[in-house]
Amino acid sequence: MQAKDSNPPDGGYGWVVVVSAFVVMGLTVAVLKTFGLFFVEIQQHFDELASTTSWITSVTIAVFHLGAPLASSLCVQYTHRTVVITGGLLAFSGMALGFFGLNMVWMYATTGFLQGLGISFSWTPAISIVSHYFSKKRALANAIASAGECAFAFTFGPFFQWLISQYGWKGALLIIGGIQLNICVCGALMRPLASSCLEASHCKTETPPGNGVSRRDKEDESPIMHKTFNWMLVRRPEFVLYAIFGTLAAMSFFVPPLFLVPLSYSLGIDESWTASLLSILAMVDFGGRLLCGWYANLHVTKTIHLLAMTITLISTSLMLLPLANNYLSLAIFTGFYGFFFGTTVAIHITVLADVVGMPEFDSALGLFMLIRSTGGFVGPPLAGLIVDVAGDYRAGFYMAGATLVLSAGFLVILDRLQQRKKRGSKIRTKPEKSTLPYPSLHLLKHQ
Amino acid sequence: GVSGTALQKNVSVGNPTKVELTCKLDDNSKLKNPQVTWKRGNETISHSSKTQNSWTVQLTISDGSQLGSYSCILKGEVEVSATFHLQVPKIDGKERPIITYEGDLAVMVCKTEYAPMAWTWYRTNGTELVAINLSSHTNKFRIKRQSANVNRLEILKLTKKDIGVYWCEAAFRLGSSKRSFELRVLSILAPLKPFIAIVAEVVILVTTIALYEVYSKRKEEEGEREFDQIEQL
Repeated sequence: MQAKDSNPPDGGYGWVVVVSAFVVMGLTVAVLKTFGLFFVEIQQHFDELASTTSWITSVTIAVFHLGAPLASSLCVQYTHRTVVITGGLLAFSGMALGFFGLNMVWMYATTGFLQGLGISFSWTPAISIVSHYFSKKRALANAIASAGECAFAFTFGPFFQWLISQYGWKGALLIIGGIQLNICVCGALMRPLASSCLEASHCKTETPPGNGVSRRDKEDESPIMHKTFNWMLVRRPEFVLYAIFGTLAAMSFFVPPLFLVPLSYSLGIDESWTASLLSILAMVDFGGRLLCGWYANLHVTKTIHLLAMTITLISTSLMLLPLANNYLSLAIFTGFYGFFFGTTVAIHITVLADVVGMPEFDSALGLFMLIRSTGGFVGPPLAGLIVDVAGDYRAGFYMAGATLVLSAGFLVILDRLQQRKKRGSKIRTKPEKSTLPYPSLHLLKHQ
Repeated sequence: GVSGTALQKNVSVGNPTKVELTCKLDDNSKLKNPQVTWKRGNETISHSSKTQNSWTVQLTISDGSQLGSYSCILKGEVEVSATFHLQVPKIDGKERPIITYEGDLAVMVCKTEYAPMAWTWYRTNGTELVAINLSSHTNKFRIKRQSANVNRLEILKLTKKDIGVYWCEAAFRLGSSKRSFELRVLSILAPLKPFIAIVAEVVILVTTIALYEVYSKRKEEEGEREFDQIEQL
């Protein structure tokens, strides 16, 4: 029997999907993270300023975020598999065309725009389909998939350096494009789940005879599966609260990697030791993601509580990091920060799925990424301003820590809201026990 | 400051100038009232001024022969010394070989701390250095002066004949410094081979996965049909 979306396999072929998502993470985000190695080469070749060259990465990141809602709406209409394969072709074309390196604008269009769109169309469905394939083991599956980013980033650093030393930056781009074509292989493995609603243009869930349907049921069931992008999500307070949390968190997330290197130099630590700090960050990040996935899978703590805890731990590490005054202390605090960062990333998509529910998940993911990106754009310049005013890189870390504490506040409000709703609906369903209050049973009738 | 083992410091001097070198003793050093000598090689120089814990020597550098290593030696319970290397400013540039493709453009950039009087570019021909003359190769070479202390050579329409070592020379009044660049020109086939191999691998894998899925779907459908038939019986 082909697996149904309403009754996810929670294993079996799902693990194949997890592995393919793991690889997609690596071939998209890790490539983006390591692109900095091309920076000096491209800047020198075209005789441009550093700021003009850095716009390439800015374009990539911008298109990545803006493309996410588009990608998730396409997932709903066509399958995840189609969108990922398209993304793979786009990313490949971006890098391969970058090989021709005609001028700077060409680089913006290819390694900037096409690559960003390709990454967006690959990453968003990959993240999403893992959540569709799992329900009880979702946290673990998401964590393993997200760990792909760290694993690949760790090896891509030296690998890209070697490619550039063998083939020059142009040849290296061509080969990396080819490597990104493997995203299509991963996409091919992402078998769509047959949801009884995806076949028809819409599906209606039966309401039981009479007006025994409680008000809670009407809210929980989405009577029409959304085939197009669902903007109504912004009306739901839970989603809005989570989106605000995401924005504030994004404001803080890009800051520490940015200022860690200058802070290290200002403490008198030399280049090779500073580079080792970044390796430590990547390794503990990887470990944090896997550990958090395993722990969340035990279902001992509610995912939203777990997320609030990890956020608090990150902000504590960030507030303590400025106390470091030599390599050892900086390495220890960086280790803590990296570890808790990994745990947060591993769990935050699962929490989104828990907050909005699976029928809306695709639209929610795209919209969430879009809203979150504003935080990512505001964060670094704001932190830079604070650092300039304070005259010290440590101020950036305090700002990041404070923003995270604020974001955790929104998580707490969201949790209270969810608990209040649950308590309210429990009181309402007590007299309704005779009728069928569970939506999943309605869907089963349709098969 | 001076304390502990021998210290080195590089001082870049491009034009004739007066240089002041100072050796200062840390307050917590073991040496008390040491005997201080300034030396250049074996030659002793007299110091110009002295305070409680620092000794200074003033030098007038008027030509290249006066560049070199100057040391202050402090003799007491222990002996410590520090050396200043006075030299012409070094050139910063790419250390690894420059890899380009046929028909492409090669870029070499040289940067110094202080502006030299003149920049010259050379190409190695056997063991000789031949200066690159812009007037005789107008469409081949371009030299851009990005600023007084940054100079850039562009080699256009590369062919395999352009492979070799190139030099940039910065001429200062007190001398000149040089840096070399190795230029490698590859044919487009070089990265194309691994590229095509990877694309072939992707096509094979995708086809295999697609075929496997079609095959397993057909088997499922056959199995279901048998099941329905058994039910009907």
